[in-house]
Amino acid sequence: MCGVLCGCSNLPEPYAPPMQRPFFEASPVARLLDMADADAESHFVQDISAELEANTWRWTGKRPTISLRSGSKDEPAYSIDFAIAGTTFEQTGPVTLSFFVNDHLLDRVRYAAPGPQRFRKPVPAEWLQPDENVTLAAEIDKLWTPPQPGGKPLGFILVKLGLESKNPEPK
Amino acid sequence: MKALAALAGAAFTVAACYALGAVIVARLGARLRRDEKFPLAFVVGAAVLHLAIFAVMALGFAYKPVLIGMLTACVGAACATGDWRLPVRQQSSREDLLYRAIRYLFGIIAAAFTVLYLFNAWAPEISPDGSSYHLGLVARYLRARGFERVTTNMLFSFSEGVEMLYVPAFAIGRHSAAALVHFAFLLSLALAVLAYGKRIGKPLAGAAAALLVYLSPIVGIDGTSAYTDVAAAAIVFAVFYWIQLWDENRNNRILIAAGLLAGYCYAAKYTAFVMIVYAVGLVAWRTRKWQPVGLLVGCSLIMAAPWAVKDWIYLHNPVAPFANQWFPNPYLYVLVEKLWTARMRTYGLKNLWTLPLEVTIHGETTQGLLGPVFLAAPLALLALRSRAGRILLIPGALVFITYVGNIGTRFLIPSLPFLSLAMALALEGVAPLLALLVVFHAVSSWPTVLMRYTNAWSLHEIPYKAALRILPEEQFLGAHTEYQWARMVEKNVPPGKLVFTLSGLPDAYTTREVLITYWGGLNNDIGDALTMGWSKPWQPVKLLSFILPDAKYRRLRVVQTGVATFPEEQWNVHEIRLFHGGAELPRRPAWRLQAFPDPWGVQRAFDNSEATRWRSWETLRPGMWIAVDLGREEDVDRVQVELSGDEWDARMRLETTDAGNRWIPLTVATEERHVPPSGSLRRAATYEAHLRGVDYFLIKDDDYGAGDYAEFTRDWGLTLLEHAYGASVYRVNPDAMNPAQVIP
Repeated sequence: MCGVLCGCSNLPEPYAPPMQRPFFEASPVARLLDMADADAESHFVQDISAELEANTWRWTGKRPTISLRSGSKDEPAYSIDFAIAGTTFEQTGPVTLSFFVNDHLLDRVRYAAPGPQRFRKPVPAEWLQPDENVTLAAEIDKLWTPPQPGGKPLGFILVKLGLESKNPEPK
Repeated sequence: MKALAALAGAAFTVAACYALGAVIVARLGARLRRDEKFPLAFVVGAAVLHLAIFAVMALGFAYKPVLIGMLTACVGAACATGDWRLPVRQQSSREDLLYRAIRYLFGIIAAAFTVLYLFNAWAPEISPDGSSYHLGLVARYLRARGFERVTTNMLFSFSEGVEMLYVPAFAIGRHSAAALVHFAFLLSLALAVLAYGKRIGKPLAGAAAALLVYLSPIVGIDGTSAYTDVAAAAIVFAVFYWIQLWDENRNNRILIAAGLLAGYCYAAKYTAFVMIVYAVGLVAWRTRKWQPVGLLVGCSLIMAAPWAVKDWIYLHNPVAPFANQWFPNPYLYVLVEKLWTARMRTYGLKNLWTLPLEVTIHGETTQGLLGPVFLAAPLALLALRSRAGRILLIPGALVFITYVGNIGTRFLIPSLPFLSLAMALALEGVAPLLALLVVFHAVSSWPTVLMRYTNAWSLHEIPYKAALRILPEEQFLGAHTEYQWARMVEKNVPPGKLVFTLSGLPDAYTTREVLITYWGGLNNDIGDALTMGWSKPWQPVKLLSFILPDAKYRRLRVVQTGVATFPEEQWNVHEIRLFHGGAELPRRPAWRLQAFPDPWGVQRAFDNSEATRWRSWETLRPGMWIAVDLGREEDVDRVQVELSGDEWDARMRLETTDAGNRWIPLTVATEERHVPPSGSLRRAATYEAHLRGVDYFLIKDDDYGAGDYAEFTRDWGLTLLEHAYGASVYRVNPDAMNPAQVIP
């Protein structure tokens, strides 16, 4: 029976060319890690709370650090969305944040008022290796100390941290 | 309630099998003893009932009331005709004290293991193959009310003779009802071996052999899961038994039962087809007449042919998933079959001389163990001194031969009854030694002892709380990570959507269709594209150009001339582009493309995607080709073949046709360049999955490339829906499938 069925083989007629696929531009960015991302915690290195607040942000400690793969062929920019909480600011007063890429100091900025902030600055190409892990950190000079003993000191409110394209516009 | 439903589903199915078998056996004029009737009638009934369920499935009538009606009709018929009743008990001769003591000892051992087995079969089903494809296909068919053409899971193309009996059991009592039906086959097998011993006047040997089979750890775990190996063994032994019954009195009507069962062997498990050879060969040898042989063959075909026809209609291959080279089809690639079957022949064991110890004591590589007692298997050769022993030799050897095709321990189960009987016959004269052997087997197979010397797949405890659902089913199953993966799919993937995984999950616990990367041609294509997204060696980096004399050509063919260094090596062509004067010729609809082998995939070499490639899906060898007919003469001065980075041994020549349409080589110059891909291979790969209807992925943390999906989720054009239990569910982001959209 197998022999008979073998004789009825089902080879196709020649094909016409198929639909031509579009070209997908390589993504110009590596990754901007949103604190609400489902896999965010897997990128944390230190000083970022495991608790996600209001589904958008997390408290930090002294030097919140994450690890990402750079991945991009383009020269990316360090990018951070964060906020200085009014409550902590009352105690600490103006604070200075230092931004690091692979432990290289990228910049240092003083914030004299509470509220949401955004910092963005291109990263020198020689600090990154394509498709290698990169660590990104932001260090605050003064921590808020809780009034009750044993409470955890807090840094600032972190919303997003990562790398963005230096040239965000489509090519 | 769930516990009762499971028991009821199994009991009703088993009762229907026995009832139908009893009615048939009565009409065959077979004179069975009381102890023979249940095991022999049950298996005959199972064979015929499986065919009836096959018919219902083929017609698309597999509604629960229809299935229950079928079972009721079987039981009703046996009750109405009185065939349900067992024959009267025969006066047994007086036993001496030693035999009686051994009988009680054997009874206690059998009872203890029966309790162990019953509760394990009754507990929620989570065995690897049972909860994935054996019951996955049952659940799927029940949802569809019948067979469905499944081209994306080649495990669905095996004959499903035992699974057909799981259909009504599952419809009534869900997953563990199916496992309990398999347990009934285990009981039937042990009872048949026991009864055979009595029939040949060797009751002690029969009892010892029955226990050697019954207590074996691999038989215990397999026979209490929704697998099919133990059922296949029961059917195989029943064929032997019925042939022996025929040989005793030459009542040719008995050959109907033997023939149906021989065909059912094939329906239950491909490798058991050898029992057709055995039955036909023995009857031909004994009678030297065509009529009984014809009857036997005809009855076998009734059972086996439907499965071959089903596969031929659905997959163009009557013996799918094997022999794809003989029955070419786009549903399972030749190389995938070849590598898979090669793997099954070794399970990664470097030294096959270790196999005897592996399958008897260790069992970790070959997924189960027979038990240390089977190290004494060579004793079976002593049985060849007697006729009773020699009779066992041929079927035992025939079934054992198929073991070389898959050296998993459970593939030894069908030959185990013959081996055990031969071992027991060899020692029958030394009853205390035989009893000692059984006791040793019982002790070394009991879970608490077993776990001291192996971590192999085996039973671990008596899960009575789970079986009785005192421990809720969800809680019991929830402790298994693989079950949680199935629930993640169920939660995150909308009904009707496909989900792609790189390794399996328990399909029986999700209603979504799961595509596992290696179980189908389409799956392989998607998996190949996705791997290209993160694995540099697979990406198109080599450009081989043929510079031709500037002339007009109608047909061009690239022929592969290299020889593979490794069996896994293929010819991989991402794109073939034709140029004239530096400009690429547009691919007109009139072009006609062909390839050998895998003619179905040729369009992937002409689709302008960096994330697809035509693959030979056979080991690289000279004579493979890709041809293009331009439909008219066109100016061509360069043919560019884009190849993967892992293309080491492929060599090519270019051909065209002469006036007589014969292929002739072209004298050309060649140049090779290395150029990295220019676009986003990740997004292009996701686009290919999306084009094939796959918008959801379950990626486990230890899957190849898992880190890349997690790290570059947006670059892949995916959105992470959930990460839990060491796995992530991703959805294709529709916006990212728009090429104009740059991923922010």
